[in-house]
Amino acid sequence: MSETPKLVLFQCQWCLFSPADQEWVDNQLPANIHLIKVPCTGRINPLYLLNAVQGGADGIMISGCLPEQCHFKTGNIGARRQLEEFSDYLNYIGYEQERVRFLWLDLQDRGIIQKELAAFEAQLEALGPAHNLATRTVKSAGGANA
Amino acid sequence: MPELDALKAEAKRLLDEGIVEMVIGFKAGDTPLHPQPAFFKTSEEIDQLVYNALCQNNLATYLTRFPKTQKIGMLVRGCENRSVNALVFEGQHPRENLYLIGIPCEGIIDWRKIIEKTGEEVISVFEQSDNKILVESKSGSFTLEKTTLLHESCARCIHPNPISADIVIGELLPEGDPALAREQVAAFTDLSLQERHAWFRQEAERCIRCYACREACPMCYCEECFVDHVSPRWTESGTTPAGMQGWHIVRAFHQTGRCTSCGACERACPMDIKMTYLTEKLNQDMRQKYNFEVGLDTETPPPFSTITLDDKSRFIV
Amino acid sequence: MNLILKKDQLNHQLNAWRQDYEVYAPQSLQNYTHFLPLQDGFELALDKAHNTRIPPKALFLPTSEALLKFTRVGGYEQVPTETTPRLIFGIRPCDAHAMTMLDTVFEQERYTDPHWQARRDATLLVGLGCHEPCQTGFCTTVGSGPFNHAGLDAILTDLGDIFLVETLTEKGESLFSQLETATEEQSAQASVLQQAAAASMPIAFETEGLKEKLDQNFDSPYWEEISRSCLSCGVCTFLCPTCFCFDIVDEAQRGERVRNWDTCMFRTYSLEASGHNPRPSRVERTRQRLSHKYTYWVDQINQIGCTGCGRCVRYCPVGLDIRAMLRKANQLPSEVAHV
Repeated sequence: MSETPKLVLFQCQWCLFSPADQEWVDNQLPANIHLIKVPCTGRINPLYLLNAVQGGADGIMISGCLPEQCHFKTGNIGARRQLEEFSDYLNYIGYEQERVRFLWLDLQDRGIIQKELAAFEAQLEALGPAHNLATRTVKSAGGANA
Repeated sequence: MPELDALKAEAKRLLDEGIVEMVIGFKAGDTPLHPQPAFFKTSEEIDQLVYNALCQNNLATYLTRFPKTQKIGMLVRGCENRSVNALVFEGQHPRENLYLIGIPCEGIIDWRKIIEKTGEEVISVFEQSDNKILVESKSGSFTLEKTTLLHESCARCIHPNPISADIVIGELLPEGDPALAREQVAAFTDLSLQERHAWFRQEAERCIRCYACREACPMCYCEECFVDHVSPRWTESGTTPAGMQGWHIVRAFHQTGRCTSCGACERACPMDIKMTYLTEKLNQDMRQKYNFEVGLDTETPPPFSTITLDDKSRFIV
Repeated sequence: MNLILKKDQLNHQLNAWRQDYEVYAPQSLQNYTHFLPLQDGFELALDKAHNTRIPPKALFLPTSEALLKFTRVGGYEQVPTETTPRLIFGIRPCDAHAMTMLDTVFEQERYTDPHWQARRDATLLVGLGCHEPCQTGFCTTVGSGPFNHAGLDAILTDLGDIFLVETLTEKGESLFSQLETATEEQSAQASVLQQAAAASMPIAFETEGLKEKLDQNFDSPYWEEISRSCLSCGVCTFLCPTCFCFDIVDEAQRGERVRNWDTCMFRTYSLEASGHNPRPSRVERTRQRLSHKYTYWVDQINQIGCTGCGRCVRYCPVGLDIRAMLRKANQLPSEVAHV
């Protein structure tokens, strides 16, 4: 019996053009998905991802707008390089790259986010829980030099 | 070996002619393994100048302490020159207020490798011109090959020559092989995810949060480091696994596109923690993905400062 | 009472102690040695390095420890003090002497740190004297020595294939009750060796008048001269056996109030909420560090607040040597005329 994966969703507040989709995220998001709404994916400091990872997130999804559709013109592009490199870096030290997923939505998309989240969750279940960098859940203080 | 007399002559000239107010270099240490960074203000003081393979600090780290209006001379090796270029690009000191005396560098010795061979109680160290290092220690006399003692960052060095110094004193050295840097990262990536993680965890858990790595690094000059923030609380401040790992993860990441692979961070660490395997991965990614190498000039912006619609990344359709 | 412990009996003795105590001894960790609890199949590293990188103060004042645990709605609970009986074997006299100085900080009449006190009360210290003192050490200069007794329950002298054991407290005596008494020759041999070891150490700087010179030269350019290359990191203070400063932070995400090692060498140490910093640069901070050790502690406990272990000299990333700094201080003028 595998554990339900703990997901964190960083959602750009503009990327869900359909009120139905936004309403689903606001009110019907499954309990194992933690929502953090941001004004733009460009606002996402890679350290937000680290905080989620250290807090025990099994997977992180970042949903934002396609390059030409950013509400702030180029905010989402600014995010790309840093966030992609950071997730590559996390993979290098033990947090599988598959656990960080980026979803770039077109303004005309409908009903995509629900499907993507469900698919992501299924993949994370198969991958198993993320133990490696989930250090904030470790309660003992002291390290090797205690 | 550096041509000490020529270096002294040039440094004296800079001070005598008022071209700079101060020359930053090294002087003899009070202990045999550690010459000290020195700040020479008069021509007479330059007599104390020393330059050898034990000069293990990146002098560019001192640049950000001084007012930008101050005219400063600095003796720079390959990595130090590139660090200075990076600092100039970041607006930390105008280039016209710097006079760089360049020294082609054969590499810095890791003192830990000496004491591994000679025991802790080293009495004296002498560098000969034929690349031999003579060490007197309480357990005997040793003649060691310099190439076996190099710090790993120096063994992998690609750019030993100062590239934008006002004068270069010494014979230029052949460029290093970029494959060596690639191989280090490749060797680590070839390990399994769990093996990589185990290594990372094992290195980070010795950390005592002394921040010697940060202070030794020329690119860490933030008045308020991310670890000092309370709101938001980016990283725990203690020696909990979350804190120690968070510190190493983020400090290296903040060097992306800025690190010159000098290795001063590792040499400074009192707990012998390895950390260049993190920065080298990021440096390698910058080279491979964006064709960028820091410090080769003072104009090219690093990848994280630029945005373009053309990026080919894994998640853009 | 002097006793003999044969070196080939050492492991047996340590295992016997392990029945009643958690025994710590220097073991190998990477390139250096560290006080680790002994486990089955342990390998001591008594000869690998003179001393451990991290001083054993870390076993009483951990680099980080939780003091309180709290939840958003559930209030808080104190973390209980530890009382596991422990024995630290192979502690050097400089580090043990330093522990007695730290006691004056943590076990005061009005305020006693319960965690420190509980650990101290539950721990025995069995020292190993330095028959070949290290070069970066200067214990004899500052009132300590390679066979100093302060803080120890017993001290061992290495005589080749045997250790001479001097028990110094009742607890120490009880640890070694199975051993045979040392002969007069053996005791004399140890005594000669101990004196020779101390005598072999050169005086690193003059302590006579040093306090006054430091006090009277508060505004001297000397402080700027000696601190120029200092990186303002925490290596000297964290590796120092007499340093004790700590910072208490609330880690809200984890729900713990934690005490961490802190250092007067960090800019943020004295940074006030208003933004004012009474020690804004390395100059003031270096002056504080040297003064704390070599004059303020003298005022407080009548001892130099340094036991000469030499770690700060060995591991400073820029090679600064406190002995050289103090030799320079010896040259300072004695009376500064105030105009």
